[in-house]
Amino acid sequence: MGDEKPSDDSQQNSLSNATENLKIEEQKENGDAAKTDKVKIDILLKATGNAPIMKKKKWAVDAEKPIGWIMEFVKKYLKLEPDEKLFLYVNQTFAPSPDQIVRNLYECFGTDGKLVLHYCKTQAWG
Amino acid sequence: MVKKIEGLLKKYVTIDILIDISKSRLIGTMANDREVLREIWDGKLPICFQLAQEEIMEIQQPDPFYVMVPRLSYFPLVTDKMKRHFLRYISQENADSEMWLDYNGQPLKWHYPIGFLYDLCCGNDPQLPWTLTVHFTKFPEDILLHCPNKDVVEAHYMSTVKEADVLKHRGQVMSTMQKKDHNQLWLGLQNDKFDQFWAINRRLMESHGENEGFKHIPVKIYSDDGLCSQRLVSPKNNDGSRKTLQQMTSELYPDKTDVKLRTHGVIIPAETPLQWLSEHLSYPDNFLHLCLC
Repeated sequence: MGDEKPSDDSQQNSLSNATENLKIEEQKENGDAAKTDKVKIDILLKATGNAPIMKKKKWAVDAEKPIGWIMEFVKKYLKLEPDEKLFLYVNQTFAPSPDQIVRNLYECFGTDGKLVLHYCKTQAWG
Repeated sequence: MVKKIEGLLKKYVTIDILIDISKSRLIGTMANDREVLREIWDGKLPICFQLAQEEIMEIQQPDPFYVMVPRLSYFPLVTDKMKRHFLRYISQENADSEMWLDYNGQPLKWHYPIGFLYDLCCGNDPQLPWTLTVHFTKFPEDILLHCPNKDVVEAHYMSTVKEADVLKHRGQVMSTMQKKDHNQLWLGLQNDKFDQFWAINRRLMESHGENEGFKHIPVKIYSDDGLCSQRLVSPKNNDGSRKTLQQMTSELYPDKTDVKLRTHGVIIPAETPLQWLSEHLSYPDNFLHLCLC
């Protein structure tokens, strides 16, 4: 999905704010997730269609978090307006329900130890 | 009114014969049990809607609203009349706000099928008619998804069918269908037309490849707190034999014995093969919705 375009610098200024507010945990460079009691799942966020790419694509997320929470996170990260829409897709096929938890999707659709989620600002796969 | 409800209840009780049907069919072929599909489709629930006391602005109390609804449907598809009935009793400033329902203080998720919600809330303690409270204010944002119109229900429904097809056939059936087929599936469900729906759904229930059976079984299992667990489940054991419900539960819950699962108001016999279960007792979204009991 041609999503490896150079990133837009204007997107980068307050990324740390967005991430801190949402307490999403960064995957450390050496691949060790922070040691906590909670199970973390690696997700890979890929832009599609006209959506801006995220400079950092791979995130470790609490397994019990709902998809709606990830959608809010991406919207903040991309600094979308509150009324702008964001669609998330699994397998480039279906849009999971916002109350579906990450663990369930990872168990069924995870590949190579991570869950790939495509996002876009218009409906991509129905 | 009471008599009418009693009559309807009798009709509902016929779903119990389903157990016998499924048992008798287990021995025979797994294909084309149209009778079972029909029984499931015809399953209905009597519902008594009551307007929340705090919403009532009129001196005269509104009558409760009784209706029989298909177990396989979704609340936003069957509550238009009920909403109109209560609108004139509430404050007009709330007339355009989004209606929502609760059972015993527990908000009901509109994106789950009605019959499943009943099994989850009342499976162990049947209450008919099912009495629900109607609200127009204090929408529980943290629990319910918004449903401004029926298009949202359709989008949710189609997406769930696609997810199920990814599990069953790597998504190949849905992606080769035309838009009009997708519409027919949805309209069949929305308008309660069995033949219209099954003319298309049949294709989603076929097995592909040299092996009989789906790649995986689309199944969601819910504990009584409403938490949903979804795992990859194969319709076959490693030795190629048909996997039964019992074998699935002992894989998913190795510490528990005698796990009972309910769907469509019925506790499913433990020896039922998963492939048969998926083909015949799935909801229209192509998922088995099973409640732990």
